[in-house]
Amino acid sequence: MPDLLSILTSLAWPVAIALAWLAGEFGQHFTGLPRVTFYGLVGFALASGQVGILPVPNGGAALVAADIAFGLMLFELGYRINLRWFRTNPWLGVASLVEAGATFAGVRWIALAFGTEPTTALMLAALAMATSPATVVRVVNEQRASGQVTERVMHLAAVNCVLAVFAFNLVVGYWMFRSTEDLGEAAWLSFRSLVVSGLAGAFAGVAVSALLRALGNLAQDATVAFALSVILLVSVTYTFRLSPVVAALAFGLTARHRRVAYGQAQRSFGALGDLLTVLLYVYCASMLDWRIVTAGLVPSLAMVAVRLVTKTAGVALFSPLSGISWRKGALTGLGLAPLSIFIILVLEHARVSGVALPAAAQAMAAVSLLLELGAPVILQRALVWARETPEGQHGA
Amino acid sequence: MALEPFAKSNALTFGVELELQLVSLSDFDLTPASPDLLHLLAQKPFPGNVTPEITESMIEINSSVQTHHKPLLAELRAIRDTLVAAADKLNIGICGGGTHPFQHWSEQKIYPKQRFQELSVLYGYLAKQFTIFGQHVHIGCSSGDDALFLLHSLSRYVPHFIALSASSPFVQGRDTLFESARLNSVFAFPMSGRAPFCLRWDDFANVYYAKMEATGIIRSMKDFYWDIRPKPEYGTIELRVCDTPLTVERAAALAGYLQALCRHLLERREAAPCEDDYLVYNYNRFQACRFGLDGAVTHPKTYQTVALREDILQTLEAMEPHAESLGGSSALAHLRDVANGASDANFLRQQFGRHGGCEGVVDEAIRVFRG
Repeated sequence: MPDLLSILTSLAWPVAIALAWLAGEFGQHFTGLPRVTFYGLVGFALASGQVGILPVPNGGAALVAADIAFGLMLFELGYRINLRWFRTNPWLGVASLVEAGATFAGVRWIALAFGTEPTTALMLAALAMATSPATVVRVVNEQRASGQVTERVMHLAAVNCVLAVFAFNLVVGYWMFRSTEDLGEAAWLSFRSLVVSGLAGAFAGVAVSALLRALGNLAQDATVAFALSVILLVSVTYTFRLSPVVAALAFGLTARHRRVAYGQAQRSFGALGDLLTVLLYVYCASMLDWRIVTAGLVPSLAMVAVRLVTKTAGVALFSPLSGISWRKGALTGLGLAPLSIFIILVLEHARVSGVALPAAAQAMAAVSLLLELGAPVILQRALVWARETPEGQHGA
Repeated sequence: MALEPFAKSNALTFGVELELQLVSLSDFDLTPASPDLLHLLAQKPFPGNVTPEITESMIEINSSVQTHHKPLLAELRAIRDTLVAAADKLNIGICGGGTHPFQHWSEQKIYPKQRFQELSVLYGYLAKQFTIFGQHVHIGCSSGDDALFLLHSLSRYVPHFIALSASSPFVQGRDTLFESARLNSVFAFPMSGRAPFCLRWDDFANVYYAKMEATGIIRSMKDFYWDIRPKPEYGTIELRVCDTPLTVERAAALAGYLQALCRHLLERREAAPCEDDYLVYNYNRFQACRFGLDGAVTHPKTYQTVALREDILQTLEAMEPHAESLGGSSALAHLRDVANGASDANFLRQQFGRHGGCEGVVDEAIRVFRG
């Protein structure tokens, strides 16, 4: 007969996911707040550093499942990106570069001001540029949002994720070589990884689209084909040390531009996506330890505040030039708040692949928790205030 | 409040209104983008005029008052180009077509304007189901009596305009087997259908309208959703049966045809309209909606049933001298090609076959609208 401890250990994840799902449903019903906030809350509460029901995360199957969930959302985000828009509205691209650049500079300055080691400050700055695609896609779909703020948040998130991956790899490469002579080499390696990841995703997009066309299956449910392909693609990026973020984004982009219909019925990949989302948020929050969080709370609050300001101001600055009101520009910048899932997964991948970054992980712990719980609410409010959610929510 | 007097306008001047779809380029569904688009368009001069419609996924454009087909077409093209440029800046697709192939009415948002909100309260889900897209053509009339004469004389030709403009075969992701399914949605409204038979403006205004107003059911002419309705404030009649075509070229051609037809009718060489003309009206209308150019219509005077396509081609030929003197021959030539070929509805069905889904249909409609 198996002992009680091993039974409890094997039940930990299913129980945590079930509890998180229940919390999400009831929480959303009674407060109107996004479900993912409650998933994160439960994951954090049950983590090994807090209540201790969940084991210490250490890669493995849970990380793979989280990666697949993240990959599905990245695919969906990529699918909704219209590259042509950056050509027809160049100010959107300018706003994107300015908000990401200002965030990089602002967060680095704050980190240094709090005595963070310069290379770690660069890593934090690179990571802070991103907007978590998972939360963006999830909240947008949950709110059934549609409009300029929605579209711009998604497009800017896609761009700043790629910029963040590139910058982070560059800093890590530089940090590993530890010399300015090898900065060029680090840049080249980071760029090459980005390009190869993009090509892998693009190849998947072309191949799957061709396959679906050959099957004459375009009008039907392409969800399974896309989901399987994302799983395969994420596995390939594992094997070849590529960026799953860039690969999955490129896959979605290519599928979209190959005109394969991914209809509204398949938003968030249905039940499969819902289930994996719970796991993703629980897993990511379970990696946070309250002692580390509280230790870095003050600099983290400063970083979160600066990031909100730089993103909001960076986008709002170009709002009239890019064709929207100041108000909607500011709300778009505010909507770029989500970050935590992106940070946690990137740092975890670095750790699993042998590049331990404890300083960065510790410095970002409180930022991750604050934004895992708060950012979905900020994004939701931005969408509601922009009147881009269905009627009846605007007064909320 | 009594009906305002019929304003004087120059006979046979004309103008076009088009209700257009605003589409998300992410998933090709309708998107509530009219507030953002109108905000952007307000920053520069706009050729013609642009206004919000009952739901935020629609806008309405209208030309100025024109006398000839060519300047009308030029203006509609300028409007289209301005709209497309603005829409590109906001990542919105704009297209024609009488219905969006797969939108769901429940997803639509009522535009925040008092009249639209009132209509939403009154009509419930019908208001959101009114997310359909029509072309309206105004024809200037020198008097109210002429307006009513034209309105009733045109009833025989209503199927022509339905069939030539038909562009709404899909509703909620399914092929309805109708060429123009849009008009089925209009029919749900209690004040839709046709105007009461009356040929004198004084009788219309002081008897019929006065009684209707006394019932409390209607407050203005706007409350009537008739296929053709008089617009006393503009001094026009307004033909409202056309689906918004996929191109502004077809929209201008339909207006040119109506102008020529009105010129012909005002010569009063045809038998005068009478109440009995309406015996066949609804069935002819159904034939045009259901089968389009392949439908059959029954003549209101002779009760002869003829192929609608043939009836259109013969009428186009008969209107040629009128079109020539109005400078609208190219409009009739355009419609002759349509009558000899296929409708927009047919084109949309072909795209469904080619792309394997409704998203591809919308994508093609956006492409075609760009010109």
